[in-house]
Amino acid sequence: MSQISLPSGAVQRARIKRAAKAEKRADIGWAGWTVIALGAAAACYFILGPLLMLLTTAFRGPQDFLPFEDGAGWTLDNLAAVYFDRNLYTTIIPNTLIFTAGSVTVTFLIAFTLAWLVERTDLPFRNGVYTIILFPLLVPGIVLSITWIFLLAPNTGWINVILRTLLGLEDSGPLNIFSMGGMILAQGIGLVPFVFLLLSAALRSMNPSLEEASNTAGASPFTTIRRVTLPVLLPGLLAPLILATLITLEQFETPLVIGFPARINVFSTRIFFELNPDTDLPAYGRAAAVALPFLICGVLLLLLYNHFIRRAESFVTVTGKGFRPMRFALGRWRLPAILFISVYALFGALLPGFVLVWASFFGYSLPSFEILSTISFAGYTDLFNNPKFWLAARNTFIVAGGSAVIVTTIGVILAWTILRTQLMGRWVLDFISFLSLGIPAVIAGLASMLLYLSMPIGIYGTVLALVLAYSYRMAVSTRLTRAALMQIHAELEEASSVAGGQWLTTIRRVVLPLLRPSLVASFILLFIIGFREFTIPTILQSPDNTVLSVMMWQAFQGGKTTQAAAVGTMIVIFVIPIIFGLRRFVLARDGRD
Amino acid sequence: MLKVEGLERSYTTPDGLVHAVKGVSFEVPTGSFFTLLGPSGCGKTTTLRCVAGLEQPTGGRITIAGTVVAQPENDIFVPAFKRDVGMVFQSYAIWPHMNVLENVSYPLVVRKPRPPRDEIRDRAMEALRLVGMDGLANRSATKLSGGQQQRVAFARAIVRHPKVLLLDEPLSNLDAKLREQMRYELQELVARVAITTLYVTHDQSEALAMSDNVAVMSDGLIAQMGPPRTVYNRPANEFVAGFLGGANFLDATIIEADGANSLAAFDEDRGSVRVNLPAGLGKGDRVQVVFRPEDAALRFSAGNNDNQVRASIARLSFQGGLTECHLKVGDTLVRSMLHPSVQADTGADAWIELNPARCTVYPAPDHRRSQM
Repeated sequence: MSQISLPSGAVQRARIKRAAKAEKRADIGWAGWTVIALGAAAACYFILGPLLMLLTTAFRGPQDFLPFEDGAGWTLDNLAAVYFDRNLYTTIIPNTLIFTAGSVTVTFLIAFTLAWLVERTDLPFRNGVYTIILFPLLVPGIVLSITWIFLLAPNTGWINVILRTLLGLEDSGPLNIFSMGGMILAQGIGLVPFVFLLLSAALRSMNPSLEEASNTAGASPFTTIRRVTLPVLLPGLLAPLILATLITLEQFETPLVIGFPARINVFSTRIFFELNPDTDLPAYGRAAAVALPFLICGVLLLLLYNHFIRRAESFVTVTGKGFRPMRFALGRWRLPAILFISVYALFGALLPGFVLVWASFFGYSLPSFEILSTISFAGYTDLFNNPKFWLAARNTFIVAGGSAVIVTTIGVILAWTILRTQLMGRWVLDFISFLSLGIPAVIAGLASMLLYLSMPIGIYGTVLALVLAYSYRMAVSTRLTRAALMQIHAELEEASSVAGGQWLTTIRRVVLPLLRPSLVASFILLFIIGFREFTIPTILQSPDNTVLSVMMWQAFQGGKTTQAAAVGTMIVIFVIPIIFGLRRFVLARDGRD
Repeated sequence: MLKVEGLERSYTTPDGLVHAVKGVSFEVPTGSFFTLLGPSGCGKTTTLRCVAGLEQPTGGRITIAGTVVAQPENDIFVPAFKRDVGMVFQSYAIWPHMNVLENVSYPLVVRKPRPPRDEIRDRAMEALRLVGMDGLANRSATKLSGGQQQRVAFARAIVRHPKVLLLDEPLSNLDAKLREQMRYELQELVARVAITTLYVTHDQSEALAMSDNVAVMSDGLIAQMGPPRTVYNRPANEFVAGFLGGANFLDATIIEADGANSLAAFDEDRGSVRVNLPAGLGKGDRVQVVFRPEDAALRFSAGNNDNQVRASIARLSFQGGLTECHLKVGDTLVRSMLHPSVQADTGADAWIELNPARCTVYPAPDHRRSQM
């Protein structure tokens, strides 16, 4: 028998509790808790702040008042005005559904074919093809949408002019970008690179042994595809499909640039026009009321996405040696495959790029040798002499860079808190950060507008307001950092504290250096997203905080085609150096050069 | 019966042509267990994958049960799904979208013509019973532990009684304790199903314990082939001796050349040993005498006969069932396994007693090089 008497049950329990508590707090210290608290507060502010504002605004009126102005009160008028309007059910909802379903179908068919060709067949020049497909990812949606007008406008569009000449037609047409079909085409093709990126990752992550096992079990290649390849890949394919639906649903550029002239309204443009009516004052309450179900749809799609991602992750099994997956021999399908990729590259990347640069010199004129002599650099000289251009360029870099820094920083704090502490409620932080993915940009813009209009600190209309409004996209950085942090064994941090490093020292000298690649990747991705952003700065626009994408749209709307094309070209030129960073830090992780 | 003759497999890589397998031949009699053993990159897995039909050989011939399944020079290549083999993959490759029973039934379900549903079920359950997994038939594949996945993979590989069973390092993903347990289990299972088995591993104890015959591979070629005891006791060359069982190597010179009764003297007058001289070596040649740690008994005073070498004890490491002793013979380190009751002191002199029957002689490396 032991000679040492054990303390009584109650005392023992108290000691255990104290020890557990002390363990939780060990090493972090006040500095650590301050950092975590600040990070958590910032995440809540950037995501929940605008959303709460939106929610309350929907119930505040009368409609031409700011929600918390003197004279405003609680009301259901906004909801009534929006939801008793037949127009919502006869045009807005059907339009949104057709637009979304159509675009996602186009995107998915093209992106899946491309991803399959690049990842699973013996297609030649696969790495080159990979880069070409991803290039449009860097070009803002607004630029792509406007280039589609250059190509397919009923009167002046290049393709229409050529078709008329070839077919001997008169008048306008035969194709018209200003139609539901045109919207679907432009949006569908525009989203291909992003979905391609996700799908090719899903195709690549499959353990080739799964197919080989089927093969050695006696199943023919076709049976293997049907019974093993497709079912295993299904969740990994459905997740990007859901995400594409979410992104298309929240699309604002295409519906504005192409849908508005065609008088086709969807949810996102409806919100915008409530804020920018032709005659009346902005109707904040009604805009918020339209936004609510839109937001709910976004969050529901997000939950669905999460479900498939989890399933896809549970399907990832231990991979064996790095044997390459079986590549399907294209054989006589080689030529059609190359043709398909060429046609996509032509319409998805090359032609829009060419027409943009061409229009910046020659306006709407079709390329020909005679016209070359009429080349005009006016678009650029005007631009470079225009202080507004330099202001917009500066603003764009500040907003994209500033929000990328803020979000990456908060993302690290959140990821570390979620993975490394026992903090109660850390899953709430996880959820909030994930929620940000389901918030449409229109709503983020609207919500920030309401928030900063109501704040008495005169921030509305400044560049800072944009930086803060952009900073809600927490999910990108939290997810990336979290994945990287999971690869870093907690013992590396414990080793640092055993060696005498305080919490901040450990973070600074061990965690951050190890996380560096994923931090850079997160910064670059967020920078690109910020650089492309059009919706939020359009909603929050003022003369002082114009960014390049908004400037391009304003020039285009004002009939200054050449200048609009010149701004668009400059955006692409600014963004090209980022490709190299992207290739180095993001794609290198997939084992590509 | 499985027969592999002159198998070759080369790849073109950005760095040029790589010959992974350079002419491997072996024969596995029906029902027998054959192991390819070697370090990573020696070509053993490539050989196995060629037998499975997952890779196309670039030369040689593979015959399974009398049918030639691969012979590049005649453009014969039977794809994996027509070969009637069963394979356990290193990663197990359990299909995550099926449950345990569906995984095991699969080889029967895809068979043409498909057997009746009841028969498929009965045979799959029988295979699961064999591996002790019949209780988990309806469990989702994503909820299996490593050992369970391994059993399911094995059941799936044997369910249709294939002509050849292929095992690609099936134990390497398990932790040490489970690996040992599964080794015995696998050994019993393979014996019970009595299927011609080709096993690939880099673990010598697996290879020695389980196989009827072992082929030690190095650099795309078979270095030695034979029953485990022969390969272990009579390693054909230095590579095999070093790879199997961590042999000791001591430099010596032949001072009496007399066939099986030759005498090799160790450097610095440390002693000598009677050895069986291989052909081509004679008096005055430099050699290496190779012996196993378990054959290196110690004595703490000099004897007056041959077959001993003077050393000093550098380190003693008590390991429970035995004491591992590191000795210095000049600058060379020699390992010896002692019974734990043996008392010794670090730094003391000791004489290693050698049993001539358990020593092998190879030409010294520099000597061999000068001959080439």
